[in-house]
Amino acid sequence: MNSRTLALLAAGMWVAAGAVWAHHNMSAVFDFNNRVSLSGTLSKIDWRNPHIYLTVDVKGDKDDVEVWQVEGPAPSFFRLRDISKMDFENASGKIVKFEASRARDGSRTGLLRVMTLPDGKLVSACPQNC
Amino acid sequence: MKKSAQIAIVLTASVLAAGLMLVPARGFGQPANDAKAKAAAKAKAIAQAFEANARTLTVFDRQGNAVAAVGPRAIYNTPVFSPDAKRLVVGKTDLEKEVQDLWVFDIATGGSIQLTSGKSREVSGTPAWSPDGSKIAYVGLRSGEYGLYQKASNGQGSEELLYKLPGVGTLTDWSQDGRYLTYHATDLGGGILFALPLNSGERKPIEVFRSAKQVQGMRLSPDDRFLSYASNESGKFEMYIRPFDPAGGSNSATGRQVSDQGAQGMGFWRRDGKEYYYLGADRSIMAVSVSTSPALEIGKPRVLFHPAEEIAVAPGTSSVSRDGERFVIAVPPNRLRQLTILDRQGKVVKTVGAPGVFAQPAFSPDGTRVAVTRNDPKTGFNDIWTFDVATGKGYAVTNDVWQDNTPIWSADGKHLAYVSTREQYSGIYRKAWDGSGQEELLFRYTPGAGVGFSDWSQDGRFLTFSTGALLVVHLRDNEKALDRKAIEWIRDENNEFGGRFSPDGRFLAYGSDEADPLDFAGSGTVDVYVRPFDASNPEAPGPGPAVRVTESGAQIFGWRRQDGKELIYMNRDFELMAMDVTTTPKFSVGPPKLLFKLASPQTAVSPDGISRDGQRFVFGMPVSPPASAAGR
Repeated sequence: MNSRTLALLAAGMWVAAGAVWAHHNMSAVFDFNNRVSLSGTLSKIDWRNPHIYLTVDVKGDKDDVEVWQVEGPAPSFFRLRDISKMDFENASGKIVKFEASRARDGSRTGLLRVMTLPDGKLVSACPQNC
Repeated sequence: MKKSAQIAIVLTASVLAAGLMLVPARGFGQPANDAKAKAAAKAKAIAQAFEANARTLTVFDRQGNAVAAVGPRAIYNTPVFSPDAKRLVVGKTDLEKEVQDLWVFDIATGGSIQLTSGKSREVSGTPAWSPDGSKIAYVGLRSGEYGLYQKASNGQGSEELLYKLPGVGTLTDWSQDGRYLTYHATDLGGGILFALPLNSGERKPIEVFRSAKQVQGMRLSPDDRFLSYASNESGKFEMYIRPFDPAGGSNSATGRQVSDQGAQGMGFWRRDGKEYYYLGADRSIMAVSVSTSPALEIGKPRVLFHPAEEIAVAPGTSSVSRDGERFVIAVPPNRLRQLTILDRQGKVVKTVGAPGVFAQPAFSPDGTRVAVTRNDPKTGFNDIWTFDVATGKGYAVTNDVWQDNTPIWSADGKHLAYVSTREQYSGIYRKAWDGSGQEELLFRYTPGAGVGFSDWSQDGRFLTFSTGALLVVHLRDNEKALDRKAIEWIRDENNEFGGRFSPDGRFLAYGSDEADPLDFAGSGTVDVYVRPFDASNPEAPGPGPAVRVTESGAQIFGWRRQDGKELIYMNRDFELMAMDVTTTPKFSVGPPKLLFKLASPQTAVSPDGISRDGQRFVFGMPVSPPASAAGR
């Protein structure tokens, strides 16, 4: 338990403690030292707690489509950075570039580090996901 | 191993990033309808967070006597002595600017200079001094990328990137001959120790040691022949020493264990290489005689001193001088609490047992016992305890090597459910109130994910917890714990916390920031909402909209268990408020009435600290520590 959580418990702020615990230890699922940089069509947005999910259709080497699931931080993370759900909705059906830490199980799943939206807006999930 | 649980949380993004996420005791209270009100609410939240986390840099001698307090209170981490022990470099978090920078303090005068000046959401941390004290190396997070940097220790000039890290790294030392920086990358997938040669043309790190377990805190012996580190390879954290092979062959060598009763890390070599220090599992400052030539010899560990219980020394907030004569600890706010029972007017009725590091005090259904999360000073671990109200006698419900928290009583008072984090998994377990018998796993969540456990229904059939979403677990008979799935009862873009079943099981109350979203930087409000809960169809809330029952924020709340006719909550100003509840023809509450105000925001409170009849409240009241800093 880190000092933040301990302080929360000591003060009894279970509400805030819930917020602390909301964050997965991403290293259990994703390898921070194994990154992938891809571009593709943003096809689906799941804008919910505790983590948003973005689906990106990436064109493979043989013109087939690889469907990538990109996990991002909570919606509140983006609110703090003046990035809204609308920014992603406006990018739906368009090409986005992203860098993610790959899932340890080798699936086409990644933990979002940065994404460049079609209008050039750079969305960073750091430091939380970096 | 509880240490791994700590690491699991801290390393979510990185040790450094965690420093920026200090958002405790945050403000959930003021309606923030305009920019001015929002700014005021944020300032108040930041002030509360500061009070809950601010530490004092305190220097101790080998006997545990406090010999100096350095600089003002602040949110510090990783203090490190300069080679001559006259200065300290330390990470300092600015909550308002959302940045962690490094500062250098003169121990004698308390004067300081700001070494780094990061932009918002940048981090500088885990510093190490060059052997001559002229430079400081550190890990910097710059534009989303981690790197090893160095800068002159007098703050002059600009920082220099030494090596761009491919991922997260924690710098641990600058070898005493100046040839290497050592760092580690460790997470739930294992760990790697690295040494970065500084004198070669191309800076390419040496992978010194790789383990499927967690490894951290690598430091080279003064002669560069050996490396020390902490690892949980035996099932609990211990300190190890193994030969250092600059060619990267250390994996094939045999490591030797230094500690004999567990360790928390923080291993340091004395300048002459003849003594080695680490933090014991029980938070004692340990010393071991060592020799690296002609062969490695390791003596028996001995206690130098044991810091007082309330100091809560930890590897990331303490270090040792090169001469082994001084120890610095970033001492946190006093954590000692006295379990205290108050009546509805806030008058003290009784104290229970002796002070301890307690959190989440919860009354048993008959009010004769109190369950708490207790931090054990002998192990540093959090366990679940119960105390008899009449006699103060304590019972260890758990006494294990995991981090346990959030005790919640069964309706019959015979068992407690609690959260325990075990390596990659957090789960909810059940055990008898006196610790007898075997514990039972009720539910295990997905790897790496925390569980904000908040209630166990009175009929014993449902658990609820939060992850930002609000989840429910149906405890069906004849279903194995590992087969149980969490139901996403409410999952949307709002933050929902702390579900509480009504005593009759027909409603679920919860906190939500729906009306004024939290931004985790000091703004936002959590209010209490109630929705119907249908035990025959627990997949989603029952029909009808959520009823918002508080309007200006709540920090905790609970039902009067006896009849469910009262909801009691604590507002942002630490006032206990009570509302009458009506459930027919529809759910509604009366106006809030002030019961009393808590004297200290640092009081340990819990939604289950309300007696069934709503007449008594149990809290952990802050108490003053003894005058001496050292425990023995």
